[in-house]
Amino acid sequence: MSNSQRTHSQSQTRTRTTGSDQPLETTSGETVEETRAEWVEYDFQGEAKMVAEDLDVHYGDDHALKGVSMEIPEKSVTALIGPSGCGKSTYLRCLNRMNDRINAARVDGSVRLDGKEIYQDGINLVELRKRVGMVFQSPNPFPKSIRDNISYGPRKHGDIETGLLARLLGRDDSDAERELVERALKQAALWDEVHDRLDDNALGLSGGQQQRLCIARCLSVDPEVILMDEPASALDPIATAKIEDLIHDLAKEYTVVIVTHNMQQAARISDQTAVFLTGGQLVEYGDTDQIFENPRSQRVEDYISGKFG
Amino acid sequence: MAGATRSRLVEGETTATDAVAGATVGLSAVLFVLAVAAMFERVSLTETIAGLPTVALLGGLLIALGVAVIVFGVGSRLGYVETEPDSSAGLIASFGAAVPWLVIGGGVASETLGLGVTGGAAGAVVVGGLAFVATAVPREDVGSTVPLGALLAFVGAVFLTGTIGPAWLWDLGWEQQASITAEFLVPAATLFCALYGGWAAAKAYGRFGARGRHMGAYVLVYLNALSIIGFLFVLIAFVVVRGLPGLLTGVQVGAGVGPQVFGSFELPVSLPFVMNGVALLNDFQGVLPAIVGTIWLVVGAVLFAVPLGVGAAIFLTEYAERGRFTQAVEVATNGLWSTPSIVFGLFGFAFLVPRFGNRKSLLAGMLTLGFMLLPLVLITSREAMLSVPDEYRDASAALGVSKWQTVRSVVLPAALPGVVTGVILGVGRIAGETAPILLTMAGGTFVPGAQTVDVVGGFEFTGSPPFVANPELLQATSALPYQLYALISAGVGLGSNVSDPTGFRWATALVLLVVVLSFYAIGIGARYYFRRQLRHE
Repeated sequence: MSNSQRTHSQSQTRTRTTGSDQPLETTSGETVEETRAEWVEYDFQGEAKMVAEDLDVHYGDDHALKGVSMEIPEKSVTALIGPSGCGKSTYLRCLNRMNDRINAARVDGSVRLDGKEIYQDGINLVELRKRVGMVFQSPNPFPKSIRDNISYGPRKHGDIETGLLARLLGRDDSDAERELVERALKQAALWDEVHDRLDDNALGLSGGQQQRLCIARCLSVDPEVILMDEPASALDPIATAKIEDLIHDLAKEYTVVIVTHNMQQAARISDQTAVFLTGGQLVEYGDTDQIFENPRSQRVEDYISGKFG
Repeated sequence: MAGATRSRLVEGETTATDAVAGATVGLSAVLFVLAVAAMFERVSLTETIAGLPTVALLGGLLIALGVAVIVFGVGSRLGYVETEPDSSAGLIASFGAAVPWLVIGGGVASETLGLGVTGGAAGAVVVGGLAFVATAVPREDVGSTVPLGALLAFVGAVFLTGTIGPAWLWDLGWEQQASITAEFLVPAATLFCALYGGWAAAKAYGRFGARGRHMGAYVLVYLNALSIIGFLFVLIAFVVVRGLPGLLTGVQVGAGVGPQVFGSFELPVSLPFVMNGVALLNDFQGVLPAIVGTIWLVVGAVLFAVPLGVGAAIFLTEYAERGRFTQAVEVATNGLWSTPSIVFGLFGFAFLVPRFGNRKSLLAGMLTLGFMLLPLVLITSREAMLSVPDEYRDASAALGVSKWQTVRSVVLPAALPGVVTGVILGVGRIAGETAPILLTMAGGTFVPGAQTVDVVGGFEFTGSPPFVANPELLQATSALPYQLYALISAGVGLGSNVSDPTGFRWATALVLLVVVLSFYAIGIGARYYFRRQLRHE
């Protein structure tokens, strides 16, 4: 669609705070309550793909995410950084309702995908998760062949029918499956390495290859948004570089939201960065260049320069 | 000094000392094997081995082992052998040495010296205490060798001098007229002494110290593992040797000698014992009906229990929330698994039998054994599913795949090897069960060949609901464990034209063993196949 994401950093971006004209937070604890009231906002050009508003998450008595509101622009890379336990992964898992799978989790607030509320009764979770895919921290391919890993999603959704019954009924989609596997693997930059052993077990691949396979598996159901939870943290530098290149390419067609511990990585690959700090708050959200070069908040500056967190 | 050599990184070359210590360990292994063989009467105590009486030979070997161990320890203490001993052999070794000396002290004082109970107790405490002190106080090289070596030498001398010979008997004088015979005592004592000797020799081989203790522990656990394989092997060999003649009675090999199978194809082998039933005019009687009965019994129980057990496991792991209900199910399952099989049999007898035509039937037996199999299948399936990583479930859910499809396509395949393991264990237990069959299924002991149950061919269509009938399932039939039990305990049917009743019994036992082990082999094959599918497709 538009190439606004490539250009928005040149355009004037305005960051405003509402609710308070107080000086921004410091590392001291007293101002923490004040920052809660702040509406950390980031203006960008182009459409917002996902919007979270006043998102609160409790795990039992633990208040993991406190009133987070942020908009995620489409076809770009949004990085979520922050120290461990700051709620960034929790936030990510709210975006495709994976927190539903945790019994003790309670989510309040609103998340909209293309303007449609996903926290409402009657939402089709299958459809939501097809549109908002997820890649996990450690590579988790199924103990099946590479081909089966890719075609698993489409098969289960009935987009591809193979097997005896389909053949008997004349609805064999083997060709479509072959195309789909090839397309997904090429998108994930894995095709050249595995095209001659698609029937091998995926667990025989290296860690980096497994993670790209997981990305390919995620792409196989044609998502619009791809959530990545520290996708490179378990990989060596070379595999990490490959994943980063891949993320960069994916952002041309998909909206990518990535959680990372690695600030250099966030600086390298993301268009905009959101900084979560201890206590489950979103402290600052803006252009990646601005966040890393000229953060407005002292806490964020401390965190980025390594004094905190 | 001990500390001076500890920093040495590179060991010297293999020396004569190493060879001696290694040979000592080997000698204890030989003694161990001899003792096991004597225990199972593979070696007769009254006969001779290589011209020597067995007991004397064992005694001589024990003395040699004991002296070698002592020489090594004392040599180390005097500095002839380079070792790295600790300052003491430690508490465990001390107790280990004290216990056999305690027994010997008590026995000698009360029986040989005739000092009675009090004297025996005093002798036990004195001798055991001496052994404890002799182990704990000196440096490790002496402490861990001399008391044990002396023990070996003492026991060896007792055997060698004939104080305890093949005809020795200790009448305990109890009302039950229990007595300890040489046939039991000699192998058992040799076994223990071989273990102790191997332990001490292995410590010496490792030059004492930490490395020596490691070697000692290694030899002990290795011999334990070896003895398990040994016991299994001896058991199977025992049954095979005794059962084979009966099994092979009347065997013929050649074209067209066997019975017809699959229409008109004639097997080139005739093995009457497994191919015949019992008939008045048979040359050789056989147990075919019992074999077929056992196989159908197991197949029926597995078909009944596996879907039910796996289904319940899926519910418990994937759907039910952890809470009181799942805990209750868990307790109930474990309780069911611990329930004695005769109780299951009674249940089948009182509940199932009246509902299936009021007579013992194959179906009642299948269901009873199925109930027995159910808890184990449930427990192991549950464990297997719990061990499937949650990452798979997350990955599947993140693709928008529903829970049931995730379970079917990801969780179950990954858990299958574990499920199969459970079924293998369960089948191993139920295939040999006698008590439940006795009450629910078994008819005669010597079943005529014509009554071999034919479940597949027994299905017939009927004109009224339920439209299917299978009288074969409602027939009483025999199974191998029950047949064996009846043959041995009651001698049932021995009048029926069997030339060698004992051989017939052993052959039945052999066939039962083969059938159960075959199920085991099938299970292992299936598990291997599913594991391969998971790892390298």
